[in-house]
Amino acid sequence: MTSVIQADGLTKSYGSRRGIVDVDLAVLEGEVFGFLGPNGAGKTTTIRVLLGFLRPTSGRATILGQDCWREAPRAHALLAYVSAEPAYLGHLTAGEQLDYMARLRGLPRGAWRSAAERLELDPTVAVRKLSRGNRQKVGVVQAFMGDEPLLIMDEPTSGLDPLMQREFLAMVAEVRAAGRTVFLSSHNLQEVERACSRVGIIREGRLVDVTTVRDLQASHWRSVNLVLQSPAPETLFDLPNVQVVSASARDAHLMVQGDVNPLLRRLATIDVADVAISTLDVEDIFLRLYEGDREAGDGSGPPGSDGHRPSGGNVEGERNGPGEELAGRGRERAR
Amino acid sequence: MIPVFWLDLRRSRSLILWVGLVAVLYAGVMVAFYPSVLANAEEFDRMVEIYPKELLAAFGITDGGISDPGTYVNSYIFQFLWPVVASVAAIALATRPAADATSGFLDLPLSSRLPRLDYLAVTIGVQVVSLAMLSALTVAAIVAVDLLIEPDFDTGRIALAGLHLFAMAIAIAGATTALAVALLDRGRAAGLMAGILMIMYLLNVVAGLAPEFGDLGRLSVFYYFDLQPVIDDGVFPAGESLLYLVVAVAGWVSAAAIFRRRDLAT
Repeated sequence: MTSVIQADGLTKSYGSRRGIVDVDLAVLEGEVFGFLGPNGAGKTTTIRVLLGFLRPTSGRATILGQDCWREAPRAHALLAYVSAEPAYLGHLTAGEQLDYMARLRGLPRGAWRSAAERLELDPTVAVRKLSRGNRQKVGVVQAFMGDEPLLIMDEPTSGLDPLMQREFLAMVAEVRAAGRTVFLSSHNLQEVERACSRVGIIREGRLVDVTTVRDLQASHWRSVNLVLQSPAPETLFDLPNVQVVSASARDAHLMVQGDVNPLLRRLATIDVADVAISTLDVEDIFLRLYEGDREAGDGSGPPGSDGHRPSGGNVEGERNGPGEELAGRGRERAR
Repeated sequence: MIPVFWLDLRRSRSLILWVGLVAVLYAGVMVAFYPSVLANAEEFDRMVEIYPKELLAAFGITDGGISDPGTYVNSYIFQFLWPVVASVAAIALATRPAADATSGFLDLPLSSRLPRLDYLAVTIGVQVVSLAMLSALTVAAIVAVDLLIEPDFDTGRIALAGLHLFAMAIAIAGATTALAVALLDRGRAAGLMAGILMIMYLLNVVAGLAPEFGDLGRLSVFYYFDLQPVIDDGVFPAGESLLYLVVAVAGWVSAAAIFRRRDLAT
């Protein structure tokens, strides 16, 4: 299968500051490739190098065979791009802004109408009067208004409400069904899980893993908070992929790695008053996948169990493993 | 390129309108005032003599009586008005790519099939058109008011002066464009260019007052901005205009060389 995006040893440094280091990447035709990483990991730098906005310090990247730096305009003719915080001219209406982009891309005036209708964007409102979410819609609409073979999206759904996020995912699915390729940078693991076939994980400028979404799901942890009607049997949570972070007579905070079905089957045998399952954020998953391993020898509990703790979980005083401290440090550094 | 050109020109409307209004009103009022100056020339000349010559030199009034058309138009209209108008307009227009890079708006045209150099060429084209319009408005205001009252000035010579106004403005714009794309920071580029222009203005004044510093004046853009010979004698300052043009083109070519290869980091 053809590589739509190909990066070989792609490195970008800003003087002494690290940008991205030795990134090797191949995004295949027709796939939706998720690009995950915490803030400052190098996602946007990678995208800006792919767009030819930044000159690689070393290495090379191509888009459908066009060198991203030397042949940037040719590469741009093959893609649509939306940035994480698109900037527009405040005095233009959303429609005027979209027409401007359409003309730059050789599309007819009004090419954006169907996408705008789907995302419920009012094209008559001046951009300066739009909320952040609606400004983001302008970017998403302009990405979807053409039929370029590649869409590069840098956190496109930040600021969109859940309904619009769902519509966005439907549009991505349609693009994929049409055989086009999407490179989707995101913080949102659930979004990536739903939209993408493969993911690349970047951390501290290095592409640390490229995996399928199924493998990522299998390896990542969920936080489960339980309130039971009656005290639980001692062996209730004795499952290979479950760790008990804290437990009292009727409350339990668990961490579950991968498949939650074995735990749900156990829970079906008792009376449960309340259950809340939440996905950890991307940073916690990174810490778990890559730093947690380093701490494994310490016998610590699962790190980052405070990532998305459901309300009611009172585990603060009980999180005392070295992994917990690591999680806190890691999060500070990443942000 | 065409959509970018029209949008960029559209963005320049307010600037052209307001700066042009200032230029038109000032030039028009000063021309309307000229018949009174002629009628009271001796009194005006005596009044001007009261001021220290350093102060007069700072405003470009160095020689000639106030009733002389060349002195009046050069000193009281062009020297007062144009350095400010040209600097404000040229800096505002030429730093736009830097402002767009900072805001992220530059990502839109440059993520399309438009090459960087084409984009820069368009912004330079808008600078040229906008500054030409401001020069033309200033000249038109002088000519129109002059024709409406007692015609005292040679229309052709005023038009020739307009060419020199334009040449000076694009020289500032060219240099500012190079600074703007090198720094990609509108505030820093505009501040730096404003500072350079103020130093140049002072250099020109000092050079005019102290012969021992005369050569320093040659470093100033304002040294080459003397339109009295055009108005009085019809002698166009071709060398000075050519120098402005060379500075403008050098600035734009430098800007292109920098912009073509630099990172667009925001």
